[in-house]
Amino acid sequence: MSGRARRILFLAQIALCVLLVAAVLIPVFLSSMPWPLSARDYLQANGLAESGASNLVSAIYLGYRAFDTLGETIVLLVAISGTIAIIAHGGAVLAQGYGLPSGTASEPARHLPPKTRTELLEVVTGKLGPVVLVFGVYVMMYGHLSPGGGFQGGVVIASGIVFLALGSRVDASNSLTSPENLVRIESAAFALLLLAASSGIISGSGFFGNPLAGAGLTPVAFIITLNAIIGLKVGAGLGFMCIAMLGRGK
Amino acid sequence: MIPILLALLIILAVYTLASADLLHGVIALSGISLISALIFYLLRAPDVAITEAAVGAGVSTVVFVWAIRATTRRASPVKNAGSSSAAVLPEDESL
Amino acid sequence: MHSHVGQGEVVLERILILLLFLIGFAGIVGMRNIIKKIFGLTIINSAVVLLFIVEGSRIGNSAPIIDAEIGLVVDPVPQALMLTAIVIGVCVTALALALAFRLYKAYGSFDIDEIHRQVHRES
Repeated sequence: MSGRARRILFLAQIALCVLLVAAVLIPVFLSSMPWPLSARDYLQANGLAESGASNLVSAIYLGYRAFDTLGETIVLLVAISGTIAIIAHGGAVLAQGYGLPSGTASEPARHLPPKTRTELLEVVTGKLGPVVLVFGVYVMMYGHLSPGGGFQGGVVIASGIVFLALGSRVDASNSLTSPENLVRIESAAFALLLLAASSGIISGSGFFGNPLAGAGLTPVAFIITLNAIIGLKVGAGLGFMCIAMLGRGK
Repeated sequence: MIPILLALLIILAVYTLASADLLHGVIALSGISLISALIFYLLRAPDVAITEAAVGAGVSTVVFVWAIRATTRRASPVKNAGSSSAAVLPEDESL
Repeated sequence: MHSHVGQGEVVLERILILLLFLIGFAGIVGMRNIIKKIFGLTIINSAVVLLFIVEGSRIGNSAPIIDAEIGLVVDPVPQALMLTAIVIGVCVTALALALAFRLYKAYGSFDIDEIHRQVHRES
């Protein structure tokens, strides 16, 4: 079969696949079923009273649907460790200090050659790093009153950690960007999450139940604690993965 | 407003898949995330907007740039340099 | 209570999001470069997240933060679900790129036909 005929056949096959998928999806996308209103009505009426958080989205993923959050932290853990394992055993340039036997890495961790380490990069990212980090912590801790929360603050913290790693000088060691510290923070946050989730069992409101509901303290303290834990886990995990890929570290 | 931004997303998506340089595709992908974050803000979803902006323009771009930096930047091995196949959409080379 | 878009604009937004999804799907199926397949995966992710948020925002007209005087709130459930979906999407992308990196190190190319040829030559 000539080259052009093969190309046309290939394009026809792709078009057929796309048309089949479109035929399956059009009833989904163009359905005229009305969007159910009962969830929104219930949450607007009772969300603040039951969980103490004004931000309804935080009340959902930390209260009503907390198991989704637990599953998501597990997926993060598995994906990040899987990614690092796949890269490291392929002889990639990774940050030193990962505890790998020296035979696997093809070359030691290299920092940017002097030509590329311009002052612009160092000044901008190094000076902006702490600002982004502070903003991330703010977004994380105010998640119950304003837009923000665990996931949102966590990914901003991860970006701040990447900034710090990009802007640090060659021989300066920053304790926040060293891989061991980030791994310790992530593991500790996961353990704390399980501990906080089990605390509901002791107080009689079930797994992931709010142990402070009906007690003296306001129930929103539990939401804030969970937000902080999840933010630390997401931030440390994603920051660790990015630093490993950038080839920066101590 | 929203349909205009969605049309812009479609244009960026076509450019992402059709560009010959992978790094250009990555930048267009982060542009898609940025415009998605704007759409989420306009649709009264501030939490999703913060997450999409930080993830799409930050972590996801870093991961893609690492993959390209560690390997190669061209979308396809150049078989005949200087040919006219780079002008039209090269269908059997950079697909 | 509906937000202030007309019926025609509703259909237009849905069709545009469907087009975005199909473009991403065509990228996964039709592109030969593995990185472009992963581009298509990311585009599909964005299209699905957009669909959920766009549809959930039609039933109200203020952000889901309980304040003193607001009208009806947009649906907060799809927003909470999409938070998780976005973070998981970036994890899947990172894992896929790690696998593509290993393929490049093993076979020297991102082109799946080239990899196919080399695998069959080895076996």
